[in-house]
Amino acid sequence: MATYSESTNKLTLKIVYYGPALSGKTTNLLQLHTLLKPQRKGEVMVLETRNDRTLFFDMLPIGLHSEGGLDLRLKIYTVPGQVQHDSTRKAVLSRADGVIFVADSQLSQQDNNAFAFDNLASNLQKLGMDIERLPLTVQFNKRDRLDAIEEHNLQVRWSSTPWAPLTLASALNGQGVVESFRQLLGRLYPAVDAEFSLARDYAIDSQTFMRNLSAVGGLSNA
Amino acid sequence: MRNYDDDYTLDDLLSPAHQARLLELLGKLSGAPFLLSENNDGTSEPIEFSLDTLGWLQAELPTEQHQAAVRLYELVLFYAGKYRLAANLHHDTTEASYLELQQKHAAVQASEEKYRQLAQRLTQQVEEQVRVIKKAQQELYESARLRAVGQLAAGIAHEINTPIGFISSNLRVANDYLDELEASLPHNHEAVMLFEDFHALLDESSSGTKRIARIVSDLKTFSNIDQADFAACNINALITTACRLVQAEHHQVLPINLDLGELPEIPGYPAKLSQSLYNVLDNATKSLDTEGHIRVVSRVKDNILEVLIEDEGCGMSEDVLARVFEPFFTTRDVGAGSGLGLSVARDIVVAHRGEIRIKSRLGEGTCVALRIPVN
Ligand SMILES: Nc1nc2c(ncn2[C@@H]2O[C@H](COP(=O)(O)OP(=O)(O)OP(=O)(O)O)[C@@H](O)[C@H]2O)c(=O)[nH]1
Ligand SMILES: [Mg+2]
Repeated sequence: MATYSESTNKLTLKIVYYGPALSGKTTNLLQLHTLLKPQRKGEVMVLETRNDRTLFFDMLPIGLHSEGGLDLRLKIYTVPGQVQHDSTRKAVLSRADGVIFVADSQLSQQDNNAFAFDNLASNLQKLGMDIERLPLTVQFNKRDRLDAIEEHNLQVRWSSTPWAPLTLASALNGQGVVESFRQLLGRLYPAVDAEFSLARDYAIDSQTFMRNLSAVGGLSNA
Repeated sequence: MRNYDDDYTLDDLLSPAHQARLLELLGKLSGAPFLLSENNDGTSEPIEFSLDTLGWLQAELPTEQHQAAVRLYELVLFYAGKYRLAANLHHDTTEASYLELQQKHAAVQASEEKYRQLAQRLTQQVEEQVRVIKKAQQELYESARLRAVGQLAAGIAHEINTPIGFISSNLRVANDYLDELEASLPHNHEAVMLFEDFHALLDESSSGTKRIARIVSDLKTFSNIDQADFAACNINALITTACRLVQAEHHQVLPINLDLGELPEIPGYPAKLSQSLYNVLDNATKSLDTEGHIRVVSRVKDNILEVLIEDEGCGMSEDVLARVFEPFFTTRDVGAGSGLGLSVARDIVVAHRGEIRIKSRLGEGTCVALRIPVN
């Protein structure tokens, strides 16, 4: 649920990295922080961890100032993946505008992926959101692992869902992280534009949106 | 209350006292005074937190030093912010969990209430069914009894009618023979006395057989042998019959006064109506002591046919009065009555769209009114 403040002309969007424990959400976020060169980029806040595991959340703010004077912010969160932190997960998920689901490609983790995906759907429902209508990208991370589930299989399995095609990543190596993020921005833009007339009122078309928020290595590189 | 992911102001993150202390320390470190303001006055540097400018730091210092002070300030804010975010998230989560718990609690209560109501409804339904079954049982019992009485009466009537017929005609002939015999014999005092006595004996026997014949005919009416079903009923005739039957049972010594008005015939079940009249009369006679009268009144008032059966008997207390319609309730000794009397009478009257009203005072008597609407 994007929030717009008229007095400051500021529109804040919320993106959430969701997924089973240890699938690489935090790694994705840290890589985004390293790789992205958006118009504006804040510090990553890694709130609290124990043995590498998120206890509250991580958050990276990025943003852009449009020619139309809009102060557009993107707050990118990760949830704690461990089962027992469900209430925190739900609180972080609340009012999300888009979700990147980070699945673990390791063969042994497929049950956990399914469980976490169900958990996403049920928490969305509890928060009054519909998983079918929420901009959502599904990323299979840890493609570098030898025991990673075979790609063709995966794509076929997901082909009939609203979220195909999947994105593949090796977040540890920085691969596929930005691509996943861009896919989500692509799915997010139409929803935000429909509600806030980004193109008409603020001269932010889809391309501007993508370029300013997901540039890598300088704006010209987008 | 703000959400954990709302934007924060400087005061949200750092108390005014700590802000002042921080400026003071920065001043001491750099040797120049610092000022924090909400706007840029041209010589200020913005302090940012999470892409938001929370304030402007003003100082007369070389740019590099000035900026170092700003970064330091931001670093403090960063950690203060982390704490604030975590604390607020914790608060949000706790609140949400509590809310969820309350909703669950409410849901549990709602479902408990639903089951409670269901149980109540079931109990009601069971009670209703029990009532229906009891009533059916009582009706069955009553109709079986009526049928038995009817059959018995029919048998008795059949068996008695013939002998009674020839007994009474024989008695008549015997009387004639006696006359002839008396005429043919010499008249002395002894013989006259004997014949007088003889005549008296025969007359008494004759009226006895008449009474027997009437009882048989009443029994037939009462048991509905002649009129099995729905028919136009002459209530006064039914009252008379019922009275005679009660009289017969009490050896004819009952002081019953009849005050029968002019009544229209009403459609109904004569045998059953007789039964209810009989039951009420029977109760009235049983309530009487050695003295006291029974008065039976019939009349039509406001389109309601009313039969009042009043006695000057023992009456009833309010407790008893409240229970008189209960099947199997009786104040008499066990065996003396089934207790079905009044409840059967009421059911019969109710089946004729009527009602029974009872007024009673302990020691003074009882008045039972059978009220049946005309047409
Ligand atoms: N081999 C491999 N390991 C990865 C990859 N991405 C993350 N990891 C490792 O997986 C472990 C967990 O990564 P995190 O990013 O902390 O996982 P998370 O999803 O944030 O976990 P939680 O916070 O507990 O939900 C770390 O040891 C990472 O180094 C990857 O692409 N390949
Ligand atoms: Mg994490």
